[in-house]
Amino acid sequence: MASASSVGPDPRSSDAAVIAARQPQASARDDVLLEARAIVKEYGSTKALQGADLTLRAGRIHALMGENGAGKSTLVKILVGAAVPSSGTVALQGRPVRFDGVSEAIAAGIVPIYQQSTLFPNLTVLENLFAFETAALHGVARYRSVQRRRLAQQMLDRIGLVVSLDQPVALLSLGEKQLLEIARGLGRDCKLLVLDEPTAALSQGDTNRLFAALRRLAAAGVGILYISHKTNEIQQIADEITVLRDGVCVISGAPLKSTPMQAIVSAMVGHTFNVGEKSLPVVGAPVLTLESAVCRAGDPEISITVHASEILGVAGLAGSGAEEIGAMLAGALACASGALRVNGRPVGRMGDRAAAVAAGIGYVPADRSVDGLFPGHDALRNASASILEHLTKFGLLSSRAESIRLSAALTDVSLSPNQPWRLIDEFSGGNQQKVLLARNLAVVDVKALVLVEPTRGVDVGARDIIHDRILKAAAAGLAIALISTDLEELTSLSHRIAIVRDRRLTAELPRLSSPAAVASAMLGESR
Amino acid sequence: MTMGRLAGSKLLQRLPVSIWVLALIVVVFALFLPGFARIENLTNVLRVGAILALASYGQAIVLISGGIDFSIGSSVALCSVTTALAIQQWPLGLALTVGFASIIAVGAINGLLVAYLKLSPFLVTLGMLLLVHGFAAIAAGGLPVEVPDREGIHTLSGGGLLGVPYPVLIAALAAVALHVLFERTTLGRSWFLIGSSRPAAEATGIRLRRNIFLAYVLAAAFVGVAGLILTSRVAAGEPNLYPTLPFETMAACAVGGIPLTGGRGSALNAVIGVIVIAVLNNAIVLLNFPAYAQLALLGAIMVGAVIAQGVPSWTRLARIRSL
Repeated sequence: MASASSVGPDPRSSDAAVIAARQPQASARDDVLLEARAIVKEYGSTKALQGADLTLRAGRIHALMGENGAGKSTLVKILVGAAVPSSGTVALQGRPVRFDGVSEAIAAGIVPIYQQSTLFPNLTVLENLFAFETAALHGVARYRSVQRRRLAQQMLDRIGLVVSLDQPVALLSLGEKQLLEIARGLGRDCKLLVLDEPTAALSQGDTNRLFAALRRLAAAGVGILYISHKTNEIQQIADEITVLRDGVCVISGAPLKSTPMQAIVSAMVGHTFNVGEKSLPVVGAPVLTLESAVCRAGDPEISITVHASEILGVAGLAGSGAEEIGAMLAGALACASGALRVNGRPVGRMGDRAAAVAAGIGYVPADRSVDGLFPGHDALRNASASILEHLTKFGLLSSRAESIRLSAALTDVSLSPNQPWRLIDEFSGGNQQKVLLARNLAVVDVKALVLVEPTRGVDVGARDIIHDRILKAAAAGLAIALISTDLEELTSLSHRIAIVRDRRLTAELPRLSSPAAVASAMLGESR
Repeated sequence: MTMGRLAGSKLLQRLPVSIWVLALIVVVFALFLPGFARIENLTNVLRVGAILALASYGQAIVLISGGIDFSIGSSVALCSVTTALAIQQWPLGLALTVGFASIIAVGAINGLLVAYLKLSPFLVTLGMLLLVHGFAAIAAGGLPVEVPDREGIHTLSGGGLLGVPYPVLIAALAAVALHVLFERTTLGRSWFLIGSSRPAAEATGIRLRRNIFLAYVLAAAFVGVAGLILTSRVAAGEPNLYPTLPFETMAACAVGGIPLTGGRGSALNAVIGVIVIAVLNNAIVLLNFPAYAQLALLGAIMVGAVIAQGVPSWTRLARIRSL
């Protein structure tokens, strides 16, 4: 099996793969589905890829890892027809191919599933499942509703998604949306499924269901390219792994079983880093208190206190209400009753973020691209948004004050490249997240930070830096609420972990609880 | 890259693309269009363009904050009618104040509906366009209201200082004011952020409702000055005063490089866009084309500008789509 990674294009493999796809049981495990050889991609003078190889086989789950900027997005773009390589070849089932656009790749059976939702929020689940087929119909759509519903139900069943077909997609949870997107991708004649951070927004339960679905698909002969930052997931799901660093393959199609995790991580970052226990600061007096808040009719009252120098983890599955509790703590959600206090003083009206910022509550929302970033503006302006009134001289904004103050804040979070005047859109996800952290650390007289999924879809290096800055902020006396579905993050950083299930706080776990204990508490299993 | 080259390319990048479009058409007309390059003609271009400029500054504010304003098409007409009616009983200064206030009132209503009731700016201002037009026509009694000649109302549009017509002077000063508003005030900055991402602006603690409301009111202040100069020029209360104004301002903004989707732009963008439109309008007159050719051209410019602006966003979309 190890030698299979270096097998060249085989004239027989094309037919063999077709047979493999038709007869899943046949032992065609070594059949090459897609092969990229010596791929070079240059953008101007920068080389994003410098001779990368990738061999994907039918029925295998192949992990692609690498920090942001390592070239993995570029490589994937080339495979799915969104970019043309400067040199190198791509062969699909032995035949050289050159896709002109993503639609050609999809027609050839390479189906990409992206991080960004491509669902139509106002349409129903059913309409979304057939969105592309409907779009391709000319004239009046022949709408055989009974047949369609049955087919749609099968598509959902295949991935284990339980939602009503007539529900508008806007009402689904993030996790359900992601599963629906994958279900729709599978709906087409799919040889190779390309998943980019599919679990970034998923809860543990949804992730498990997704993995089960992926294993079934692999068993049925579909090749899967799985891009993720999460080493623990890769360990669970992948058969083989390729790691990119600086545009070259540092690990190329190695079987996962014979590759230790530590080797993968150090291959990615180029050095080994300390995975030892983090030491947390000593907890002080209460700072951020949410008292008997009810923000949706019928919900139970929520009360939470976060102390100075304390990192309170809040864990819950997607849709459990954990994210809403984050928004409540940040004063971003209008509530029918209850109160939010900082150091005992009430924070204006609930749902008034301006008052919450004035009281010193920083907030990094879950969805950075929608609720966090200001696209089309530079990193500096993105970072200064919460403290504009403090950057004035004689009533006018001082660009000098702005650049001095926030350049320092951005340097503090190790923005890379450290170019405050670069458009935020041009930074990697990890660095965008650093800018959001800097924005909130810069809040004048900041006393509390509410961080929702601060490292979602972020590379290992940025994740380390963000974790380090969170610890530093806590050490400086800030009260920190960390709402996350990343159990590793929660257990390593939190003083205690509050569990949210069915929109209520059901348990509180102490420091050093195992990720497994947190997971079972989230699922509501008795321990 | 050396620092010098970096600084040089930064400066070039900062100049709007539209300035090259303007330079191109000016050079072409100056070379091939007899009468275009004469001082009197160019002064006239600016004099006519000044009104469009002031109204476009208002449109720019609203567009950048993520909205759109159609109502200016009839609010200038309302201004002329209220001024003309007021002038029959009150002194000129007070009458002009009434005219200005009527435009501010329209802006305030837009602002209340859009900011506080969270209604669609497109529908609200389109509705106000009709409502205000109807109201102005009723107030005028269906016919243009005549203004008595004695009042010296022409000074505002006809006078000048050192050979520079007042409207041009006012538009230039207003451009500076707009620049300061955009680049040096927290309110102006907040418009850019709101236009770029409303939910993100809310999460950062920007006072959304107040600042969106103020966008419509301050936009109305710029439009108000345009309305007064227009009233002065026609010296009548005219309920059908300038129906194409909203479209001309949008075309000017679009051509100048202010995307109709909000979040970006500058005072310079608006100024350049206005001059492009004014120069093209002038060329149509000099070429003896019929007046309605101007409408067709306006539409073509607007669509063309939107297409031109769309090209980068297509490529950006393609980039997002493809990871």
